[in-house]
Amino acid sequence: MSQPTTTGGRRQPASSPLSDLLTGERGLGRYAFYLPLAFLIAFFVVPMLLTLVWSVFERTNFWMEPGFTFGAYADFFGSARFENFLRAMKSSAISVLVAFVLGFPIAVFVRSSVPEKAQHKAILLFILPFMISEVIRIFALRPILGRHGVLNDALIGSGLIDDPISIFIYTPTGVVIGEVMSYLPFMVFCGFLAMESVPRYIFEVCDDLGSDTLTTLRRVIVPLAAPGILAATIFIFINGIGVFLIPDILGGPGAVNAGTLVLNAISALDFPLAMAIAAIMLVILMALLLIGHWLFDLTKLLDPAKR
Amino acid sequence: MNNQYEFSRRLFMGGLAATAGMTALGRTGSALAADNKLNLWAAPIAKPFKTWDEVNAKAGINIAWSPKSASADEALTKMLVGDGQKLYDAFTDNGGGMEDAMGQNKVIAKLDTSRMKNWGLLRDDVKSPSGVAAHSVRYNGDVYGVPYIANADSLAYDKGAIGGDIDTWGAVFDSQFKGRVAMQDDFGPTLTNTAIYLHESGKVEIKDRSNMSPDEVKAVCQFLIDQKKKGQFRTFWNGFAQGVDLMASGEVVMMSCWEPIQRVSAKKSKKDIVYGTMKEGHQVWNNIVMLTNGGVKRGREGAFYSLCDTFLSPWYTTRQLSRFGFASLTTGMVEYMDANADKFNVADLKAVLARKETRYAVKGNAWQNVYPKNLRAYQEWWSRVQAA
Repeated sequence: MSQPTTTGGRRQPASSPLSDLLTGERGLGRYAFYLPLAFLIAFFVVPMLLTLVWSVFERTNFWMEPGFTFGAYADFFGSARFENFLRAMKSSAISVLVAFVLGFPIAVFVRSSVPEKAQHKAILLFILPFMISEVIRIFALRPILGRHGVLNDALIGSGLIDDPISIFIYTPTGVVIGEVMSYLPFMVFCGFLAMESVPRYIFEVCDDLGSDTLTTLRRVIVPLAAPGILAATIFIFINGIGVFLIPDILGGPGAVNAGTLVLNAISALDFPLAMAIAAIMLVILMALLLIGHWLFDLTKLLDPAKR
Repeated sequence: MNNQYEFSRRLFMGGLAATAGMTALGRTGSALAADNKLNLWAAPIAKPFKTWDEVNAKAGINIAWSPKSASADEALTKMLVGDGQKLYDAFTDNGGGMEDAMGQNKVIAKLDTSRMKNWGLLRDDVKSPSGVAAHSVRYNGDVYGVPYIANADSLAYDKGAIGGDIDTWGAVFDSQFKGRVAMQDDFGPTLTNTAIYLHESGKVEIKDRSNMSPDEVKAVCQFLIDQKKKGQFRTFWNGFAQGVDLMASGEVVMMSCWEPIQRVSAKKSKKDIVYGTMKEGHQVWNNIVMLTNGGVKRGREGAFYSLCDTFLSPWYTTRQLSRFGFASLTTGMVEYMDANADKFNVADLKAVLARKETRYAVKGNAWQNVYPKNLRAYQEWWSRVQAA
C-alpha cells in the first residue's frame, strides 16, 4: 500500500490505481461534466424522437408496427379532437391572462415595496403551496367551489345571492380557476425573477416624472420583465393544455385537454394517435420557446450578467 | 420500475435455481409450485379484506399481489407487449372482450373447469355454453376466465331530493333535473345505457346495444350532444372518489354509476340514496380472473384453480357483496349468509341481492363489450360528445 505524501505541509491522499482511474488527469472524472448532457439525450431527446417516429407508425389491433403514415395526424385534425384541442388552448390562454393579471402585480409589489431582505421570503410564501401534491390541491377545491361548497355558503350567508352559483365547478370556468390556482406561483416567481433586473430606483424615477402606476407598468416594468413573463406564460399554457387532472376533476361534462385526448387514445389502444398528439404538443412548446427566445432572449432570465 | 426489475431478477434467479434443482432430482414442472405461490395482478376490488391473508388461508395459497387499475389498455400493453407474462401468473380484467384479446394473442391459457369444484355454483347464464353471459368467459367456445364479481349497472338517485322513486333512464334526460345529473366519463357504459334507453323507449332502433354500427353510435351520440347542449349534465364523473363526492355532496341528484358508489355515498351523506332498477335495462358486466401461459410454465395452475374455487365460493362472494355490493353470478350466498348471520347484516344483503335479481331479469339488458367491432366510431363520436 502506498503511503500518503506531504506537499507544503499538507498531507495529500495516497494515489491508487482506482483514484487515478476516477480523478487522474486522464481519468474518467473528466467525463463527469458530460453526464447532464447524456441525461438530457437519454431522457429528453431520445423519447421525443421516438414520439415523432411512433406517431407515423401503423396502428395494429393492440399495438403498432413500423410504417410511414400520417393517418394519426389526419385522425386528429379531421375529428372533434382538434376542436377539443383548440378549446383547451383557449382555456389555457385565459388562464395565462388571469394569472398575469393576478400574479404579476404581486411580483412588482414585492420588488418595489417589500424590504430587500424580506423579498425572497415573501416570494417563498407563494411557492410553498407547491410542496403539496397537485392532486390534493385540485381536489381540495371541490368542497370550496361546489353548489354546497364554502364559497356558495359564504355568498348565500352574506345575503349576496339567494341560490347557489353553479359556474364555479364542473364548467370551463372551474378549469380556469383550477389552472390559475395551480400555476399562479409560476407567474409570481418568474415575474419576480425578471423584476430583480429592474433597479428599485426605476420606480422612484417614474414617480418623479409623474407617470401613473398603469403607465409605469405598461411602458417600463412589463417590457423589462418580459422574459420572465414569457417563461411563466409558456409554462402555464403548456401545462394547461397537457395536465389532464384539472379538467378531469373540475371540468364539466366531457371537459378535455390534450392530456385527456392522449389518455383516451391510449385507452382505445390507438398508440400512433397518442404519439401524434404528444408530437403536436411538442411542436407547440418548441415554437413558443423559439419565438420567446427570438423576441426576448430567455437566457436573460437565468443569467444576471445579461440583465 | 426498480421493484419490477428486482422482481424479474429474483424470479429469474429463483427460476434458475429451481430448474437446476429439478434437473438434478428429475422432477416434473409441478414441483416448482410446491410453495403454492401465485403472482396475482388484480384490481383492488378483488380483495374484500384489508389484506390477502384471509384468501390465502382459505385457498391454501400464497398470493403475491400487484395492484392493477381498471384500465383495459394497461392490461393489454402489459400482457401483449410488456413483461406481464413473466411477472404474473394470473390477472383480472373485464370479461366480454378482454379474454378474446388475450386468448387470440396466446397470453392466457384455456381452463379446465373440472379442476374447480365450485364451478358448478355458477349460474347457467355463465356456465352453460349457450347462456346469455357465456361469451364473457369464453374465447372460441373454450373457457378462459372465471368470473369473481358482476353486476347490472344502474342509476343512483337521491330519493329525498327527487321526492320519489325512479324506474327509467328517461329521468336522466328529463329537463326538470337539468344540470343535476351525471353520467360516467366512459363511452362504454354511457353509450350502452343510452342506447338501451333509446331502443327500449322506441326512439331509435338499435339492433345490438353492445355492438353498435357506426350509424347507431352516431344516433346515440347525437342524442347525448343535444342533451349536453341543453345543459342537462352537471358533469361526467370519472373515478370512484369523484362519483361518491358528486352524490354525497348533493351536487347531482341522480347519476348512472357503479353500485359501490351508491352504497358509500348513502353511508357518507346519510341520505336516502337508492340504486334503482331501470325498466328499459342495464349494462351487465362481470370481471374475470385469467391464468397466463407464463403461469402455466411456472407450474402455478394448482394455485390458480385454488384461487378460483375460493372466488366462486359463497364465503368469498358473500363478503364481496357485503363490502362492495358486488357479487359474482353464483349461487349459494343466501344459504351462506343465513348460516353465518352473526357476521353479516343479512336483511340488507338480501335486499341488495333481491334488487340485483330484479335488474338481471330486465329484458332489455345488454352485456358489456370491451372491444366493440366499430371501436373507432365509438371513439370518434365520444370525442364529439366531449367537444359539444
